[in-house]
Amino acid sequence: MRRPVRFSSGVVLVAGLLALWEVSARLDWMQTPNWPPLSQVLAALARDILSGELPELAGGTLLRMAAGLAAGGTAGVMVGLLFATLPLTARLFGPTVELIRPIPIPAVVPPLVLFLGLDDAMKVTVVALTAFFPVLTNTMQGIAAVEAETLAMGRTFGIGPLRRALRITLPAALPYILAGLRVSLALALVVAVVAEMIAGEQGLGHYLVMMQFAGRAPEIYAAVVALALLGYALNRGFLALERRAIHWWFALGRQAEG
Amino acid sequence: MTAERLLRPLPGLCVLALILGGLEAAVDAGLIRRALLPPPSAIAPVLWDMLASGAVLPPLLATLRLVFAGFFIGSAIGVAAGLAMGWFPPVFRLLEPVVELLRPIPKAALVPALMLFLGIGETMKITSVALAVLFPVLVNTLQGVRGVDRVMLDAARTHGWGRAHTLLHLVLPAALPFILAGMRISLGLALVLAVLAEMLAGQGGLGFLILDMQRSFLVRQMYAWLVILAVLGLALNALFLLVERRALHWQPALRP
Repeated sequence: MRRPVRFSSGVVLVAGLLALWEVSARLDWMQTPNWPPLSQVLAALARDILSGELPELAGGTLLRMAAGLAAGGTAGVMVGLLFATLPLTARLFGPTVELIRPIPIPAVVPPLVLFLGLDDAMKVTVVALTAFFPVLTNTMQGIAAVEAETLAMGRTFGIGPLRRALRITLPAALPYILAGLRVSLALALVVAVVAEMIAGEQGLGHYLVMMQFAGRAPEIYAAVVALALLGYALNRGFLALERRAIHWWFALGRQAEG
Repeated sequence: MTAERLLRPLPGLCVLALILGGLEAAVDAGLIRRALLPPPSAIAPVLWDMLASGAVLPPLLATLRLVFAGFFIGSAIGVAAGLAMGWFPPVFRLLEPVVELLRPIPKAALVPALMLFLGIGETMKITSVALAVLFPVLVNTLQGVRGVDRVMLDAARTHGWGRAHTLLHLVLPAALPFILAGMRISLGLALVLAVLAEMLAGQGGLGFLILDMQRSFLVRQMYAWLVILAVLGLALNALFLLVERRALHWQPALRP
């Protein structure tokens, strides 16, 4: 995938746009104080990282994200396993799940604030709710894709239903589950920030809103850049873990969806 | 067959009714505080009043306008750029680095920056929605164009089709399932961004009302607006699935 950086037209365009950003801001073409030059944004980024402010805020956001992802992912796998192995449960509870799914996630923040307050519990729940659905969908898909022969063979060897689920179904569905988890991971970081923006006084989300009220554009863009880098790094890291965990899947020449 | 189709979701709806009944009983029994979750029977009249008096319409239409305006602008740019990048290699080489640089930026986090830059009006909200919609549509369009069967492309060339003609009559239809899949993902994102922008800018629309009602402790109203928003999300998704099925009726096997 990795290619050497060439001076292709695309790289020139990026450089040109960045230069245009710097020049347009320096010469105030936009006639607004809210269009800071790139150099100021990078300086703000470096300053906030070195002062420890940004790492501390990002750390809190990441912790809440991780907790929500773990809770939502686990619930997604368990409910998916249940729905797929006992179709009756899917018929009974499927419609309720499908009614909750299309609610845009920022809208669940206000009611959750009533129940859980403004802090960690509310934000972790919001992230968990987001992470739940992609994992649920993919778990069910993965289990549906398990070959019937494999299960029949397990039965022939006298393996009980619980062990069949844990030893045959779950590993076979793992590539799908991980693909779902990767989708959830990308959503989780953004949603953690969104929840912080709407309520409470924690993390990068709240920082973004505060800097907006203070009219400090360089700090906002610095935080956005930091978030983009974090999201990128998380995705890369997860891909590497995924390759390790299910190397046999890739060895079979298959590609997980998503 | 229609009877069976109508009966299929019945058990699930019964469970839903049971859950609502259970909530009602739990509130009555004092297990859940009324101030946090009024019983569904107390929310229903508020909801009915909103619907009957027409009070539901202005915020609903305000949110819908944002979603549709942003969705169409973002989709149009995404499809156009995706087609151009997928079909003309020089365009791909030109735009790919910019796209890869902008794509990982979380669009929700850009809302405060856009508010400083564009104010708190419609422009900011529509821009936020369009930005969130653009990239999934672009990436899916690109994938669709790349996935066009080589044999069909060769056949088109054999028949003497020009580049533009092939793009319009072969590549675009062949990529349509991917484009529509990207648009369906983006529609959900559009609603999320619209609600978030309304909450942060605080000027109206369903997102603003839900947050505002919570802050004013008008809890029944908050839940009523939440129900309306949920129904809107459900309806938009169902509508899009219908459009998608219509548009793709001729190639069932190629649906991703």
